[in-house]
Amino acid sequence: MTRSTDDDSADPLEAVRVELARDGDEVAFAALARTHQDRLYRVALRMTGSPSDAQDVVQETLLQAWQHLPGFRGDSGFGTWVTRILINRCHNLHRARRPVDPLPEETESAPGMPHSPAADTLAVTALSRDAVRQALLALPLDQRAPLVLTTFAGYTFAETGRILGVSEGAAKVRAHRARRALATQLREWR
Amino acid sequence: MTDHDGPDSDRLPCGVHADDLLHQVVDGTPPRDPVHQASCPHCRATLTHLTELWAPVLEMAREDVRAPADLLQAVMAEVRALARAGWSAVLNDEAGQTQIAARVVGAIARLAAESVPHVSLALGGGRVATPAGEHTDPSAVAGHESATDVGLAGDRVVVDVQIAVDLGVSMPLVAQRVRDRIAEHLRAQTGLTTTEVNVIVVDVRPLPPTSEPLRTTLR
Repeated sequence: MTRSTDDDSADPLEAVRVELARDGDEVAFAALARTHQDRLYRVALRMTGSPSDAQDVVQETLLQAWQHLPGFRGDSGFGTWVTRILINRCHNLHRARRPVDPLPEETESAPGMPHSPAADTLAVTALSRDAVRQALLALPLDQRAPLVLTTFAGYTFAETGRILGVSEGAAKVRAHRARRALATQLREWR
Repeated sequence: MTDHDGPDSDRLPCGVHADDLLHQVVDGTPPRDPVHQASCPHCRATLTHLTELWAPVLEMAREDVRAPADLLQAVMAEVRALARAGWSAVLNDEAGQTQIAARVVGAIARLAAESVPHVSLALGGGRVATPAGEHTDPSAVAGHESATDVGLAGDRVVVDVQIAVDLGVSMPLVAQRVRDRIAEHLRAQTGLTTTEVNVIVVDVRPLPPTSEPLRTTLR
């Protein structure tokens, strides 16, 4: 359910704020952050599955955006650029935690066996949001990102492609594979 | 690469791709063959199954998720802290580090410029012809700008200074004296190296008719 969104690079007010923020205007940057924080948080929450991790990731993302704004060339919209930073930070978080806190995709059980001790419980709540959250977190990050961006954050395939650094067609294929994988997970847990 | 990159087993017995039906459920796209779909039990059963399967996903996607109320405040506190840190000159010494705030550097530069004969500081965006015999009143001409603007990076300083000068003096000569004086004072008082002083003459101050002729040689 990708909803068409306005490309923020075409927003003149946004462009002015970016210019001012690039010159160190904190008020302009606060306005940019206020505009984009909800969407960034939505993406971070679905990517990490944890409200506290999502908050940390968004804070770090906005701080990084502030520090690197002088290098932002404006080839894409500010929203696209800052979301790309966010996705990268989610990857970093995942990598940093991998040795001690593996995410579900690395705890695959043998074929034909229940996917986890909680499989029965999950089967009961297969249609619940918890089941969706679990299924989402079970996807590899390279599938989770396009799915989150298109289905949960409303980015178009073109915008998703720009965020992930791939073509619109590739973004569409990745998102579709992720949907299929999510549907498979949910079907198994029903 | 297409959306249909899965095995043939993803096809329903009627030949329709299950992916097409998933696409239809998720994106709300119209069916490729509405007549077939309306009469095909395989398609209708799969559509029902996928719709039920995907319902909680769509429900979750519609959740009104908002950033925590304190997030922006936390971000801006860190941004301001970074900005403050960036607005200090830093002198590293074996015994430790000395930071000098930009406003201190600006104040020294301003006082140094004012110490040059025939110069007074003009604040704001420029003002001409202060009445003869009157001193330039900075508060009267002040805009929101300061008389000095300072750029700092490590121990290097760039200063932009706005001045008013007495009518009749050589402006290039006065400007050069201001440059020398600012660099000299900053070196002596802060240890910083002034790499550039840009002087902007924004006002002239006519001398009273009774005053003695100007000496063009400045002290």
